[in-house]
Amino acid sequence: MGDSLINEQAIAYIDALFGYAMTLTRDRPTAEDLVQETYVRAARAADKLAEDSNVKNWLFVVMRNAWLNQIRHQSKGPRFVGLEDEEFDSSTCVAEGNTNPQIIYLRKLERDEVRLAIESLPVTYREVVVLRDIEGFSYQEIATVLGCPAGTVMSRLARAREKLRGLLDSREPKTQARAV
Amino acid sequence: MQACKDIRGRINLYLDNELQGDDRLQFESHLRDCEACRSVTRTEQRFLDGVRDVKPLYVASTDLRTRILESSTDEFRVQQRMPSFIRARVVMAAAVATLLLFLLPVIVWRFRERAPQPQAVSSFALMAADTHLRHSRGQLPLEMTTSAPQEVSDWFTNKVSFKVKIPNYQESSGQEKLYTLEGARLVALRNDYAAYVAYEMKGRPISLVITSDGVAKPSGGETIKAKGLTFHYNAIQGLKVITWSDRGLTYALVSDLDERGQQSCIVCHQGAKDQDFIAPLKPH
Repeated sequence: MGDSLINEQAIAYIDALFGYAMTLTRDRPTAEDLVQETYVRAARAADKLAEDSNVKNWLFVVMRNAWLNQIRHQSKGPRFVGLEDEEFDSSTCVAEGNTNPQIIYLRKLERDEVRLAIESLPVTYREVVVLRDIEGFSYQEIATVLGCPAGTVMSRLARAREKLRGLLDSREPKTQARAV
Repeated sequence: MQACKDIRGRINLYLDNELQGDDRLQFESHLRDCEACRSVTRTEQRFLDGVRDVKPLYVASTDLRTRILESSTDEFRVQQRMPSFIRARVVMAAAVATLLLFLLPVIVWRFRERAPQPQAVSSFALMAADTHLRHSRGQLPLEMTTSAPQEVSDWFTNKVSFKVKIPNYQESSGQEKLYTLEGARLVALRNDYAAYVAYEMKGRPISLVITSDGVAKPSGGETIKAKGLTFHYNAIQGLKVITWSDRGLTYALVSDLDERGQQSCIVCHQGAKDQDFIAPLKPH
């Protein structure tokens, strides 16, 4: 990969990377620093990247490693983030109970409400939802970013979506009030 | 019933395009015959569509883009242009560098007057090119659309701290309409707003970004003097970017037109009397 990487490909992913950085940090200045750190790291390692590599996937891996590195340096003791819902039953990912009223309800939700619901997910769930449903990564690509088996991605994603569905169900629709 | 339970356990895989080959065919075959599973799948698909509709979740600020472009390009220059055999001898070079450190003040003093300064691309030019690209990709929609220059000028009143006057040479000259004014929007630039005006000529977009010269000053690139003004020409990401300052404002004109993109000047200088203004920008 040459100079053109940053100019043509990497910059094209800046919104995606910033979105992922916000997903991880929930803080704009910290997220911006993380994006910058990612590009600096990527630039330094670019000569090791094969010509046919998945640049986007690689940049996300670089970002996550940078973030984990920051956490390690910032926290003196062990840090536990966003795992409060890991006890969800993962044996079932059956999408049942979605009746017509829910569909109608979801259609009326404004994008902000969905965004708020995503933001309020624990970080482990937020991460897989963003990587899959916003960035369109495959399970295997997400597994590469997270450094875990694809099966874990699958079960975590199912739980994250259940949680997200629950959050959206519990919100009052604002669309009607705003639609003037 | 067992078949339905198995199928419903695979709905996410199916909708995420993770189900392949026979598994996918089997899934689709079941859906054709089972209205209940079809309904559940449709429901899940709508739910996912609703979630995916929020894309992009966040948009990076122009300031961040500029920072990334500047810092990353510098990094790449250092990393990529250095031959590998030299990189392998970095340790040796470090020893030499230590020695040179003692001689550095003398070297700097000797060469300061003679060495040409590197012509780095200005952050304003980078920001203008990036804004042009984002608008071209549909990521930066116009906040107002009109083909009337006066309406654009009026729209910016009280929105930016400087007066934006968009010339209307086409109308006044009565010449053939060569370009179309599309509209405008504000774009963030440092802690202020810049004016962004979009044009289109022969199906190709032209962007004009305007800010006060207190916020940005043109610099870097190839400099060309014409009519008492100094134009800075840069090629950025395949785009032609011309920046200059005039009467308290700094401008950036971005296009993918030929040569130096000097044809883009036509959005303000279409009249025949202005051709001598544009001519110096043509490559010699």
